[in-house]
Amino acid sequence: MAQAPAAAPVDPSAPEAERSQRPPTRLNRRGLERLDLLLLSVESLDLNGGEAMVWMTEQLGFSSLFPDRVALWKTRCHNPLRRVTRRGTLSEQETDALIRILCTLADRLYPMLHQLLSSSEPEALNDQRWSLFQGRLAELVQERMNPRRSSVQRLVDPALERGVLRQLIQCLALGAGDGGFDRLKASLMDAN
Amino acid sequence: MKLQRRYDQVSCRLQVEGLPDVSVGQSSQAIGIITGWQLQLAGRPELEGRREHLIAMAEAVLPYARHLISGISRPFGSPEAPVAIAPFDEPHESGDGRRRTGHQLTLRSSQPDTPPLTLRIDDAELADLVRCLDRLRFDPLLQVALQLPVPQPLRAKDLQARLPLHRRLAAPVGGALALGVLAGLSWLLPTPAPQRSGQEPLSPPPGKLAPSR
Repeated sequence: MAQAPAAAPVDPSAPEAERSQRPPTRLNRRGLERLDLLLLSVESLDLNGGEAMVWMTEQLGFSSLFPDRVALWKTRCHNPLRRVTRRGTLSEQETDALIRILCTLADRLYPMLHQLLSSSEPEALNDQRWSLFQGRLAELVQERMNPRRSSVQRLVDPALERGVLRQLIQCLALGAGDGGFDRLKASLMDAN
Repeated sequence: MKLQRRYDQVSCRLQVEGLPDVSVGQSSQAIGIITGWQLQLAGRPELEGRREHLIAMAEAVLPYARHLISGISRPFGSPEAPVAIAPFDEPHESGDGRRRTGHQLTLRSSQPDTPPLTLRIDDAELADLVRCLDRLRFDPLLQVALQLPVPQPLRAKDLQARLPLHRRLAAPVGGALALGVLAGLSWLLPTPAPQRSGQEPLSPPPGKLAPSR
């Protein structure tokens, strides 16, 4: 797959009104938090998700952006909810690469996402799958996120509403594959 | 010769038939003119239609999915449109307090006196349908300009529905209450007593020097 094109330079001579109507090109704070949480959800669904992410980086040709797992980890640490957080903003190339990695991983996991969302699956079995996903996500969140943040506390709460988890899985299912990239990117750039 | 393209998912199959548009130099393997399509959703009646119906379906379903990914469930497709989609939420048949949620796809036939067909699909079936439409959009052998809108970030106004009304009202109502309480407390503060006319002024009037000791 071809690498995402570089961000178009902003023309300072363009009129202010025209510039304000353009969609934003960089993820805001909420977008970064959601993107990292979705990547964490992929890791919760796939025990080997961390390795798959590094492998996918090479497969998609993003080795120049993320030469090793440390570079990938550092980029994800721009999430302000992380235990170890980094200041600064990510470039459009970096966020596009992370979104494309997420979409491709979601595509790989699509059969699992389908099972979780399907109402025709046996209810007891699906409840078990959801509990497993919730448990693994809570473990990863506890391990990597700042426990003093209220949104992090909400995610590790065992009484977390199924709707919040369902929204994450639905987001991955609708964002899976090539077609999901534009949808997911637009969603991560929503005004908050 | 008629060509066929098929897009399969677990619970959904979309099949498009058409012909190459040789007038614009398309290859004999590509579809440039759509003559018909069929959509099969597992356990549901087969749907079929013409090019405009397929575009209407993509125009309703893809923006619906785009909003759903941002946590917004709202209907797409006008009452006159051939295809419309809307969320549904109703009590479960078992009556145990659970809710049945999903998406209702309404298809209106162009034939007169034909009632609209309504299909209820769950989240997994919707994801399958969206993937079929995505594969159709990105198929290099389907060289038809579908002219679908590019997904855009939602504005704050569009995202209001994501928060329940009581949470959206909490900040302005809290602010108004705090202002009211402060205004009430300010009434309790004693007002300064009015100055009596016969009283000696504390400072000498201007131009009059104080007596030296």
